[in-house]
Amino acid sequence: MQKIRMASRVWMVALLAVWMVVSFGAPAAHAAKPLKIGFSMALTGGLAAAGKAALLAMQIWAEDVNKKGGLLGRKVELVYYDDQTKPANVPGIYAKMLDVDKVDFVVSGYGTNLIVPALPIVMERNMVFMTLFGLAANAKFKYPNYFQIMPSGPSPKTDWSRGFFEIAKKQSPKPRTIALLSADAEFARNAVAGARANAKKYGLKIVYDKTYPPGTPDFTPVVRAIKAANPDMVYIGSYPPGSVGITKAVREVGLNAKMFGGGMVGLQFTAIQMNLGPMLNNIVNYHFWVPEKTLNFPGVNAFLKKYQAKAPGAKLDPLGYYLPPFAYAYVQILGQAIEATKGFDQQKIADYIRKNTHSTVVGKVKFGKNGEWANSRALMVQFQGITKSGDINQFNKAGVMPVLYPDSVKSGKIQYPFK
Amino acid sequence: MKSKGHLLHIAVALAVVLVAFLITNSMENRYYYKASYVVLQYVVLATAWNILGGYTGYVNFGTAAFFAMGSYTAVALIKLWKPPLYVLLVAGGAVSGLLGLGIGYLTLRLRGVFFSIATLALAVVLQMFMTNWEFVGGGAGTAILKPRSVPFFSNYDEFLFFVMASLAVAAVFVAWLIENSWVGRGMAAIRDNEEAAECMGVPILKLKLFATTVSGAMMGIAGAPFSYFVVFIEPSSAFHLDYAVNSLAMPMVGGTTTWLGPLIGAVLVGTAQQIATVTLSAEMNLLIVGSLLVGFVVFAPEGLVGLFRKLRGRAMGRSA
Repeated sequence: MQKIRMASRVWMVALLAVWMVVSFGAPAAHAAKPLKIGFSMALTGGLAAAGKAALLAMQIWAEDVNKKGGLLGRKVELVYYDDQTKPANVPGIYAKMLDVDKVDFVVSGYGTNLIVPALPIVMERNMVFMTLFGLAANAKFKYPNYFQIMPSGPSPKTDWSRGFFEIAKKQSPKPRTIALLSADAEFARNAVAGARANAKKYGLKIVYDKTYPPGTPDFTPVVRAIKAANPDMVYIGSYPPGSVGITKAVREVGLNAKMFGGGMVGLQFTAIQMNLGPMLNNIVNYHFWVPEKTLNFPGVNAFLKKYQAKAPGAKLDPLGYYLPPFAYAYVQILGQAIEATKGFDQQKIADYIRKNTHSTVVGKVKFGKNGEWANSRALMVQFQGITKSGDINQFNKAGVMPVLYPDSVKSGKIQYPFK
Repeated sequence: MKSKGHLLHIAVALAVVLVAFLITNSMENRYYYKASYVVLQYVVLATAWNILGGYTGYVNFGTAAFFAMGSYTAVALIKLWKPPLYVLLVAGGAVSGLLGLGIGYLTLRLRGVFFSIATLALAVVLQMFMTNWEFVGGGAGTAILKPRSVPFFSNYDEFLFFVMASLAVAAVFVAWLIENSWVGRGMAAIRDNEEAAECMGVPILKLKLFATTVSGAMMGIAGAPFSYFVVFIEPSSAFHLDYAVNSLAMPMVGGTTTWLGPLIGAVLVGTAQQIATVTLSAEMNLLIVGSLLVGFVVFAPEGLVGLFRKLRGRAMGRSA
């Protein structure tokens, strides 16, 4: 009898202990549960260099947020998988993050091809979707909770190259003819399609309009053909290997055009800039951020300092002007929206992002109806005064890549014509 | 006896399809559907590859070409008039089958490595073609909106999983049928010694054309739902070398002389790849395939099935 009573007392104490743990311990455990943000990223494959730099920027953001105590008391945890730059891997990865890892939010990987495959999954769950450098990726889906951080503007295809034509319009003698050259792949063709539309709009006669296969090793014949057409302007849509090859061929063959450049991917990367050195002078090309006073937004230098301290060790772009600030900004906006809405409701956060202007390391960001920036800030910069190859210090100061367009952040004058 | 065997196999095949259907009605987790879809897609591709590569002995490096032709045929049709999925499957299979027939006619005079090089070149040529065909997105690629709902399934992912599971069952069944008929025996004769087979009266050209056509058609059918699965298609990913390497490595791992080999290989390697992608790192994917391929070619050239037979033979020898 005594034994039974003793046993029931032990049970009561045990029950009491369990109740205490459940009722007091649970909220504490809930508060400590990290806030998971999931994404796929190109860590191997064609876009790996940029993808890794973007990941580092996002990790710096998570560190910054966690130092301040996280978001609404929850530490941020990044959950990511390598998509190998293959669109076919993306649907599986997003399903895994949402159904198995139970992430709270998802953001996109880098580039149009890797954003689009994730969109239907995000749409089915009505989640907010911050995306990184997609060119009109939402054009078909028209998803209202889609927000894209690349500042290409409300009409991404034509806004992208508008600056090039706006600058040309103001020059004397005014260019009248244009040559268009594009790599046979996603971004380049879109960029040149936009330039083609702009050329018609600005009344320029297209005297050369061709594509080249992405693996082209020697661009001398292409540049000679362009030279033979004798255009006043040359707009190029190219990827890094092509951008280097075309620039070298142009310097070798010579060109009579008054303006040259446009949509050449790669000329923003420090390693390529160091390699080409003075060959870059006078090229007018797109960019998103350069160390000019007009683009010195709050927080950007502090971020770049942290990035530049870590980048050489990770073998990434040592300066990181092109993509990293935007990779920081797109998660920064999500974080700000979570804090402002004081909760984790996807729709409320999406509405907040849509309605407000956000202060980020890439400046004030306001999104338009289609989830693109309400106003384009695709920069046109010109390389000026580069004297030697292999010197990184030429590129980390103001004046080397002055902004020519748009006027709101203009910081220098064009050297015209192209020499 | 023979018809009894057929009936049993048909029953097993139908049972597997039924199980796939029941799974879609009981499991919610989308990830498993998507991961399984990829593995099942490789079951079809590996089985298709094996009909030409394993049974007949002609190594095809152009799996991506046939697969992508199926996908692009579907994309072209979707852009034109959005037909139901079964039309896309038939059309994708027909186009890739015809491609297989044409290529077979042109290249089967080439033997060994020269045939393989020709199939690799085919993939390059077709990729160039698709890159320049603006209607299906060209080099820039195009997004495809998948249907929002489908009868009997709660969402399209489950439906695609079911379709691919049925296709995998059908592919394995076709492979089994071929293997166990005079056609399969003729193919095996070609593989062992083409001249001798011809002297014995095996219609080698007809059989080789049959193999390229059936193999191509099956790859095209596997590719047809691809654009709905990824919702975005562009040449460099549709023609990715992965398809060629995997569809070759999987039968090598499983065993190339029987229908069971590609099935085992695709399930094992495909699953390992899916797990590696979300656990270790994506780079491990290639390492897994590469190491397995080298390992099996050196130590078990007849794949797991061959290895199993050898071990069983030894055990029986010992007991005798």
